[in-house]
Amino acid sequence: MARYGILLDLNRCTGCMTCVVACKQENLTPPGVWWNKVLELESQLPDRITYFRYACMHCDNPPCVGACPEHAIHKRADGIVLIDKDKCKGQGECIDACPYGVIEVNPTHSYFPGWELPFEEKAERHRRHPPGKASTCTLCAHRIDGGKEPACVAGCPSKVMVFGDLDDPDSPIQKKLRRSHPLLASEGTVPKVSYIFPENTSKQIEERIIENPRMLR
Amino acid sequence: MAPRKNSVERVLNSSARAEASEDAQETEGYTFCDGCNEIPFCGIKFHKKGDVVTRIEPWPGFPAGPICSKAYATLQRLYHPNRLTYPMKRTNPRGSSDPGYVRISWDEAYDTIVGHLKRIKEDHGPHSVFFYVGDPKEPRAAVQRLAATYGSVNYGCESSTACRRAAQLAELLTYGFPTMGDLPTEETKVMIIWGTNPAYSGQPFMCHGHLADAKERGVKFIVVDPRLTPTAGTLADIHLRPRPATTAALAAGMMHVIFKEGLEDKEFCEKWIHGIDQLKAYVKNFTLKKVERITWVPAQKIIDAARLYAGNSPGGMMTGAQGTTHDLNATNNHRAILMIPAICGNVDMKGGVIKPTYPLDEMAGPWSAGPPLFSMRKKMTQMKEHRLDLKAFPVWAEKFWEVQTNHLVEWVKEGKVKALLGWGLNTMIWPQTHEYQEAIASLEFSMAVDYFYRPWTHDYVDLVLPAAMNYERLAPFAFFGRQLFGRTSIKPLGEAKEDWKIALDIGVRLGHPELFYNGSVEAACDDILGLWGLSYEDLRKNQQQGIEIPAKGPELYRKYETGDMRPDQKPGFVTPSGKIEAVSTVLEKYGYPALPEFKEPMKTTPEFPLILISGSRLPYITHSKWRQDAPWLLELQRDPQLTINPEDAPQRDISTGDAVILKTPYGQMRVKAKLTVMVPPGVVGIMHGWAGANVNELIPRQFDPISGFPPYKEVVCEVAKD
Repeated sequence: MARYGILLDLNRCTGCMTCVVACKQENLTPPGVWWNKVLELESQLPDRITYFRYACMHCDNPPCVGACPEHAIHKRADGIVLIDKDKCKGQGECIDACPYGVIEVNPTHSYFPGWELPFEEKAERHRRHPPGKASTCTLCAHRIDGGKEPACVAGCPSKVMVFGDLDDPDSPIQKKLRRSHPLLASEGTVPKVSYIFPENTSKQIEERIIENPRMLR
Repeated sequence: MAPRKNSVERVLNSSARAEASEDAQETEGYTFCDGCNEIPFCGIKFHKKGDVVTRIEPWPGFPAGPICSKAYATLQRLYHPNRLTYPMKRTNPRGSSDPGYVRISWDEAYDTIVGHLKRIKEDHGPHSVFFYVGDPKEPRAAVQRLAATYGSVNYGCESSTACRRAAQLAELLTYGFPTMGDLPTEETKVMIIWGTNPAYSGQPFMCHGHLADAKERGVKFIVVDPRLTPTAGTLADIHLRPRPATTAALAAGMMHVIFKEGLEDKEFCEKWIHGIDQLKAYVKNFTLKKVERITWVPAQKIIDAARLYAGNSPGGMMTGAQGTTHDLNATNNHRAILMIPAICGNVDMKGGVIKPTYPLDEMAGPWSAGPPLFSMRKKMTQMKEHRLDLKAFPVWAEKFWEVQTNHLVEWVKEGKVKALLGWGLNTMIWPQTHEYQEAIASLEFSMAVDYFYRPWTHDYVDLVLPAAMNYERLAPFAFFGRQLFGRTSIKPLGEAKEDWKIALDIGVRLGHPELFYNGSVEAACDDILGLWGLSYEDLRKNQQQGIEIPAKGPELYRKYETGDMRPDQKPGFVTPSGKIEAVSTVLEKYGYPALPEFKEPMKTTPEFPLILISGSRLPYITHSKWRQDAPWLLELQRDPQLTINPEDAPQRDISTGDAVILKTPYGQMRVKAKLTVMVPPGVVGIMHGWAGANVNELIPRQFDPISGFPPYKEVVCEVAKD
């Protein structure tokens, strides 16, 4: 069985937000809910801006799964972590349990109150997000099941992101995998998303997040 | 967009909706994005049920791609409830707080337009009607044909106002061919990227991924930009951050080093550069001490950059459409950049700056120029004496058939322009916007074609016509080099029509059904495609992979040696001297500084100690448009942000998120501050195109004497906490 993950080489990331909006279009998430997020991390001396894209890490050891009193979150055989929107009651335990700040509760309002756009009317189940339920990145499971990469990866103009089977030695993700690091490894979550940080910034970025975990939320 | 409590809202509330029957099968279509207003566009593959587009993705294998955030958001834009879907006319006099727009039929709209066009031609002559194409650029060829047939030489566009043309003018004067440089090839050892941020602007072909690949294979990068753009952040081995508008001094400093250390291509300089001795003498005065004082760039960095570039041949170049031409020395500043690859012998060298050997016949420029035959270039050229910009900008008028539009205010006041027909017209493009709004409001007739109601423009015109969007258009088709692509289109929403269709229909109703293909957009495209023995149907049959028109032979290099560069087959460049012109013979002829001279920009004062850069982009916004067009993008940044360096903030007691007043000698406005190292100390930045915080109201109507470009990146300012 495959074990899917994403590697991000942040040396290439420009903060263009294409992943963010590609995901919006693919998954039709409601206003204020971003399954892909980008942080702008600045430093002076020397001047540097690092763009840090993050989303559900599809952890091998996902703390959200155990935290959910409704058992609404599960890990598929291929490692993708999914929230079952029928079982979810929106109590938010998963949000607190996730150290990456990537689970959101769907709001009641829509982009055009009173209007459902034609493509929203025609939306499949995975593009519908009932208010009050938790939601997060699905790794575009519906695309993966159809043999495609997640929309954020397919859309990245700067080829920051590589998608692949972490257990497949021939997967393109292997090329840079050994140079990459997970975020907040100390949490024991064993994420399947990993990063290559620009030189001399990895420690700095992780320290800033540990110091101020709210910056991810 | 905030609901408008007036007639516009009432008309919009009757907007059309797309329908698809429940059992409609999913099919595929292909189109291009018009998000950046660049041509040709990035490729979109879309999925639809009936006439409802449901999902989009990058067009596999298309030359321009993948698509960016703006292209993804075209799906939400397509069905935005505020979209214009019916023609509207004003019923209250211009100047009223509510224009009193009411829905009308296309017949009434066309009768109104044609009635005014005929009357004005009789009363004031055809040249008093100004034809304009702003954003998107797609309608240019059709509108040029309409202007020429009607008999007006006065056609202009946003490129001929403030975008690409000033840089292009510099390129034509200096190299004799237009170029924004090229992507690095396998041969390229070093790149200089000057005044452009391809990580966001994408040109050409969403190229940042290619540039990052080049860096990984060892190409060295010099990035020149006052801002710490992601292009500089991800690519630069050396990042030079000059004071805005001091381009020519920095270029002179680099050339000073190159000549002093003998790093230039001596043979090329002797043989192929007109005025090389004058150039050498000129830059000799630009000692590094002096250049550091003028440009703020440390002398050692200038030396390092000059050695890196000149010492690694071949060296490529990428320049921007307008990053280096938004100041009062626009043309010569840009000419100075171009001289660096020239003295290193990199022009038309493999891996350097290339003139394509076999551009598609009749398509010497991109679509933005229009195919010459179809656009009736000859007729436009014959009417040259009636150009309104002829006296003020003679060099421009010699090189371009598009009129420089910045003097529109004067032409209207002097009674030389009586009507304006605008596709994608946006008054916020102009400095001191209100003067242009007043000028348009005082015309005898004006109309605008657009996707949405844009109050800062449409409050001042008489008619607003709804344009079909990118999924609903057939024209124009795209071309990349010698590759052609068509698109599939769905039925436009409501009564929207594609831009070309509107121009063709007006032409038909003016009495020229044959010249305007009886209003058929496909027949118009077929007429152009006929140049290569093709029709739109052929493009349809080859939808995804397109059609390549074979070239006569492989690409050639150093064509100036062989005669393959000039139409007359003589060796040399396509300039009056036959050489790259350090001393421009054309500028000399009209009495302008003929060397790429430095001119001291506006001086900071104790009252205005900072320099304002406007016009730089956000990756998900182009000009003013996306902010109301697609909430997916709007919610990424809701307020106009003034970027200021953390060093400049404490003395003004400013923190991120604070409301501040940005003030120049010409105007002021309230915005929110963002502290960031993106801008260097002493410089602040703001994006243009925010209604209610329109930075162009803070820019004076002063213009580069050669190109007529405004100083969007030169004006001094101060920022104070509100």
